[in-house]
Amino acid sequence: MYLYLPVALTSINILIPIGLGLAVGLLSGLFGVGGGFLMTPLLIMFGIPSTVAAATDSNQIVAASTSGTYAHWKVGNVDFKMGLYLLVGGFVGGLGGVQAIKLLRAMGNADFVIKMTYVLMLGIVGTYMFFESLASMRKKKTETSKPAKESGLSKFLKSLPMQTHFEKSGVTHSALIPIIFGSFVGVLAAVMGVGGGFLMVPVMVYILRMPMHVVVGTSLFQILFNCIEVTFLQAYTNHSVDFVLAVLLLIGSTFGAQVGAVFGRKLKGEQLKIILAVIVLVVTVKIVYDLTASPSLLLSMGGGH
Amino acid sequence: MKVQDSRFKVFAYLLFAILLSAGTASATLTAKANHDRITVDFFYHGSTVSVRGVSDPGTDLIVKIASPEGEQTLRQKGKVGGLLWMNVGKLVFERVPSLYFLESTKNLTDILSEEEMNKYVLGYSALEKHAEVTPVSSPAEREKWFDEFVSFKTASKLYATSYGKITTTREGDNQQYYILLDWPYQASPGEYTVSVYAVKNNKVVEQAETKVSVEQVGVVKSLATMAKSNAAVYGAISILAALGAGFGVGLIFRKGGGAH
Repeated sequence: MYLYLPVALTSINILIPIGLGLAVGLLSGLFGVGGGFLMTPLLIMFGIPSTVAAATDSNQIVAASTSGTYAHWKVGNVDFKMGLYLLVGGFVGGLGGVQAIKLLRAMGNADFVIKMTYVLMLGIVGTYMFFESLASMRKKKTETSKPAKESGLSKFLKSLPMQTHFEKSGVTHSALIPIIFGSFVGVLAAVMGVGGGFLMVPVMVYILRMPMHVVVGTSLFQILFNCIEVTFLQAYTNHSVDFVLAVLLLIGSTFGAQVGAVFGRKLKGEQLKIILAVIVLVVTVKIVYDLTASPSLLLSMGGGH
Repeated sequence: MKVQDSRFKVFAYLLFAILLSAGTASATLTAKANHDRITVDFFYHGSTVSVRGVSDPGTDLIVKIASPEGEQTLRQKGKVGGLLWMNVGKLVFERVPSLYFLESTKNLTDILSEEEMNKYVLGYSALEKHAEVTPVSSPAEREKWFDEFVSFKTASKLYATSYGKITTTREGDNQQYYILLDWPYQASPGEYTVSVYAVKNNKVVEQAETKVSVEQVGVVKSLATMAKSNAAVYGAISILAALGAGFGVGLIFRKGGGAH
C-alpha cells in the first residue's frame, strides 16, 4: 500500500519505512546507536529528498531511543549521571561544530572535509573496535583474568580534579572527562550531520571504561535528548520534518528497539562490540565505494549532508 | 426602438463573425484535459492526464505540458584529486520549468524548423537555448551540464519527450486527437499549462491551451500547511508523538513479559 508524504512531496510503499524502522530500531536497541548513518542514506535511496530524510530520521530516533532507553532502564542499564555529563558536553560541542561548519563553508571545501572526517572516523572506530573485541574474546578463552595494566592515558585521567563516582557504571572519573569527550563527539557529530552514537559508544567503552550493557542504555538516553533538540530545530527552521514518514518509521523502530534490547541481554559485551564494528566497517566501505565509483547522475538536490 | 436597433446590429455582427469563422472551421484547434484538477490525498500515487481535441486533418500535433518557469539550484558532483567524487559546487538553472513533457505525432525535428522550435521552446535543445545556467565557463560546459540537468529531471520522472503516442482519427472534415499520459506523483502541487500546437510545413499554424492543476486536499494539505506556517507547534507535536509512541511500545512490551 502506498501513502503520500505531505512534506517530502512523494509517495512511498508503507512497507519500506516500516521495514527500515524495524531494522534500524533493532540496531538501536542492541548497540545504543541512533542509526542515522544507515537510515538517512537508505531513505534518500528510496526517493526522499535529503533534507527531509535527515530531519525526519531524527524525529524517528526520538521514538526509538525513548523505547530503547525505557527497555534498558527497566533492567538498570542507564547511567543517568554519566548521561547528563555527556549531554552537557555534547551540547557545548554541538554549538562549536555549527560554527566550524560555517567556517568550512566560508573556506569553500566543506564537503571534502566533512566526507573525509566521516570516512576516517568510521574507519578508525570500526577497525579499532573490531580488533579490540576480537582480542578480548580470544583472551577470555586462553587466559584467566589478569589485572589490566594501567595505561598512560588512564593514569592521566585519574590525576584530573573533580573526581566523582558513577555508581551504575562502577567507574570513578573526573567530571571533566565525560564533558570534554562529550563535546568532542558533539563537534564531530555536528560537522558530519549525524547523531554521533557510533562515536559516543566507543568513547564510553574505551575511555570511560563503562560496561557495554550500561553503555548501550546510557547512549540511548543521551541520543534521545540530542534528537529532540535536532527535530525541533529542523522543523522550526527548515520545515523538513515529514510527520507521516516519521510515524511510519517509528511504528517499526519502537518495536525494533525493544526486541534489540531483549536480544542484547543475551549477548556478551564483546559480541555486541564486534557486530557493531562490522556494521560500521561495512558502512565505511559503502561510502568509500560511493566516493570512487562514477555516479550515474552528476546533479542532485541541495541540502542534507 | 433605438435599443432594439442596436441589439439587431450586435446580432448581425455576431452572425457575420460566425459565418466568417465557419469558413475556416476545420482549422480550429481545440484542447481539453480530462483532469483539470488532480487532488492529492493520502492515497495519491500519481494519476493520468488525457488531452483530446479537434484539429485540421493536414496538420501534425505537438502536446506540451509544463509548469511555470523558475529557478532551480542543484549540487554539482565532480572529481576531487582525480579519484573521489563529491559535491564540488552549485549550479543555478534559470528559466526552466520543473516539469516538462513533450509529445508529438512525429519526430519533432522532422516536422518543425529549428527557429520555430526555439520560438515556442519545443524540445530540449530549444529549452537549453532558452535557459540560463550559471556558473559555466564555456558553451561546451553549458551544454554538458544542461544534459546532466535533463538526465536528473528524467530520473525524477519530471522531464519526458517522445513521439508517436498521439492517436488521431478522421471525423468528417476534422480529425480528433487523443493522448493519455502518466502523471507522476513526483510533480509538486501547482498549476500546469497544456499547450497544443498544430504544425504544417515546418511551422506552427495554430495553438490551443488548457490547464491542469495539482492540489493537496484534506489532512495532507493541513499537515503541509502546518509544517510551514506553524512550524513550532508542528515540531512540538512531532516530538510529543514520538515520545508517546516510544513509551507506549515500552509499556506494551512490559505487559507482554518483554520476550518476543
